[in-house]
Amino acid sequence: MASLSLRGIDKKYPNGFHAVKDFNLEIDDKEFIIFVGPSGCGKSTTLRMIAGLEDISGGTLEIDGKVMNDVEPKDRDIAMVFQNYALYPHMTVYDNMAFGLKLRKVPKDEIDKKVREAAKILDLDKLLDRKPKALSGGQRQRVAMGRAIVRNPKVFLMDEPLSNLDAKLRVQMRIEISKLHENLGATIIYVTHDQTEAMTLGTRIVVMKDGVVQQVDTPQNLYNTPCNLFVAGFIGSPQMNFMDAVVNVAGNDVTLKIGKHTLTVPAEKKQALIDGNYNGKTVVLGIRPEDVHDDPDFIAANASSVITSKIKVYELLGAEVFLYFDVEGTQMTARVNPRTTLRTGDDATFALDMSRIHLFDKETELTITN
Amino acid sequence: MEYQPQLKAALKELKRITGIELCLSACSSSEEEAALNQIRCLITAYKEKYNKTQFLLSLMTDSAPSYDINERAGRLHISAEEPRVLYLLHVPGGMDETMTEILKHLFPSQTKTYLVPVTENTLVILKPMHADDTDEEIQQAAHAIVDTLNMEALVSVQVAYSRIFYQLQELAGAFQETSLALKVGRLFTFGENVFAYNKLGIGRLIYRLPHNICKDFLTEVFGPEVPDTLDEEMTTIIDRFLQNNLNIAETARQLHMHRNTLIYRLEQVEKQTGLDLRHFEDAMTFKIAVMVLNYLQTERTSHYE
Repeated sequence: MASLSLRGIDKKYPNGFHAVKDFNLEIDDKEFIIFVGPSGCGKSTTLRMIAGLEDISGGTLEIDGKVMNDVEPKDRDIAMVFQNYALYPHMTVYDNMAFGLKLRKVPKDEIDKKVREAAKILDLDKLLDRKPKALSGGQRQRVAMGRAIVRNPKVFLMDEPLSNLDAKLRVQMRIEISKLHENLGATIIYVTHDQTEAMTLGTRIVVMKDGVVQQVDTPQNLYNTPCNLFVAGFIGSPQMNFMDAVVNVAGNDVTLKIGKHTLTVPAEKKQALIDGNYNGKTVVLGIRPEDVHDDPDFIAANASSVITSKIKVYELLGAEVFLYFDVEGTQMTARVNPRTTLRTGDDATFALDMSRIHLFDKETELTITN
Repeated sequence: MEYQPQLKAALKELKRITGIELCLSACSSSEEEAALNQIRCLITAYKEKYNKTQFLLSLMTDSAPSYDINERAGRLHISAEEPRVLYLLHVPGGMDETMTEILKHLFPSQTKTYLVPVTENTLVILKPMHADDTDEEIQQAAHAIVDTLNMEALVSVQVAYSRIFYQLQELAGAFQETSLALKVGRLFTFGENVFAYNKLGIGRLIYRLPHNICKDFLTEVFGPEVPDTLDEEMTTIIDRFLQNNLNIAETARQLHMHRNTLIYRLEQVEKQTGLDLRHFEDAMTFKIAVMVLNYLQTERTSHYE
């Protein structure tokens, strides 16, 4: 397997559109890297540049220390799995997996060995004689993966490979891909717009927007310490709640005013606000739905972070309940225990876990407290 | 009579492909040899004339007489009436054997899909569809072709596709509209590999304009000194401003820029062009001018490539 180095990678099209700007990333051997971001953010373009399917306008791409900018895709020792794969309809699973190697004139016994090994990893060994028509969606997907595995590449590039599968199958295939990464010890770069896929699969995630890398970090760090408003809103489902809050510094005490509500900023967060001269300024307060509590004991213990509202929607998901309500015109979500007694139309009191709040500069949208 | 076995085989082949049975009476070996050559030439000529690929290519380029299309199609076992879509594949680096093999196996002959090479870089895939196939399904098939070739042959390809058509006589029209989609798509759409015949937008109009009219229009917008390209930073700002429906506050926020800075930049454009991009009509004129400018620039670049 291989390490990759992307330094100052740029993609600019002839019409002037700058699809990827100054992309820098070092990928270690055996890493599972996820490129995530909304549609048009440049994630697929970056992957296609690594594959050699798009020219690199600027910067340097290295695989295992060798510059690859002008190397043909077939000579980069990569394999790809894309969203809209098609299997050869009249070939068996075995032949579908072997075909690419046959075209490359690999000896028969070597092909046989590689196909059977890949089939075993993918749990396809009992289906090798079947034709694509007789396979389920998930099995077909595994055959597509198998075609990539038999190449024994240095790097796997996957562009939304699960997008065409239904939700249940996607969850199942996610687990399969994760196992595959473990079994193969492969370096994988995986593009998705689905943040759940990103969070569950990646060892590190690259969040992109408008062709610019926003943050590169582990899933946990992205969730806990997003570097800006975009990352905070993109990672997490339901997404983080955001409210405008006015900072008030009075001596050593710092409070946030949201309409009629006043929240006390905890010691570990307030210094950044004082140092950043935020007194009297409006900042964006972010808090994840699970950090908004309706538990009476928590509310009693956190009287300085209480908000009140009327429940607009009660949504039971079995293991948890989502409560939707407005605070000063902003819609908020609380993820609470299903034993909650609150229902639609009830007047509710919540307490925010202030140790878990995120504060962002309203102008730059960058984090103040992380 | 040294040529008897070959003659027998050639006559059998002629009968197989044409249905014509010939009797031959030759007096010498040299006469036999001459007859053998003539029969072989006949077979080759017949195959050329009645070769599926040749036949379809002549239909696409409108170079086949229209009176016997159905009859010739019948002889080649090509259904004259069937819902089909024409996919035009463009491979910048040229088609190679691997790609042909992949496509042949992706669309085996039983599927009644025909692969017709047009040039070194282009190939037509004539694919039967169901009359009720949606645009989405047609597009999905195009993406499947692109992704499979990307994955299996590791080459970059682009595909344009036509509407569903039902008669072989409509093949020339389908080929024309798909060729246009490919040209316009490659000129005006970047980062895309699939171009639909019905999603060419304003590029379809600009592409049909003669260059002198394009240049006159640019002179009208930019004055006598038409820039070759626009300043990158300015392009980014204006693109974002247009994307945000001429909303200054939102654009300034997204670009992390003070609104007064944005207004100053827009006023600079107004000074240069007389177009106030805060007004819809001027913004529209500017947008079209930039597309025309890029079109001419891309044409110029590809001309020198």
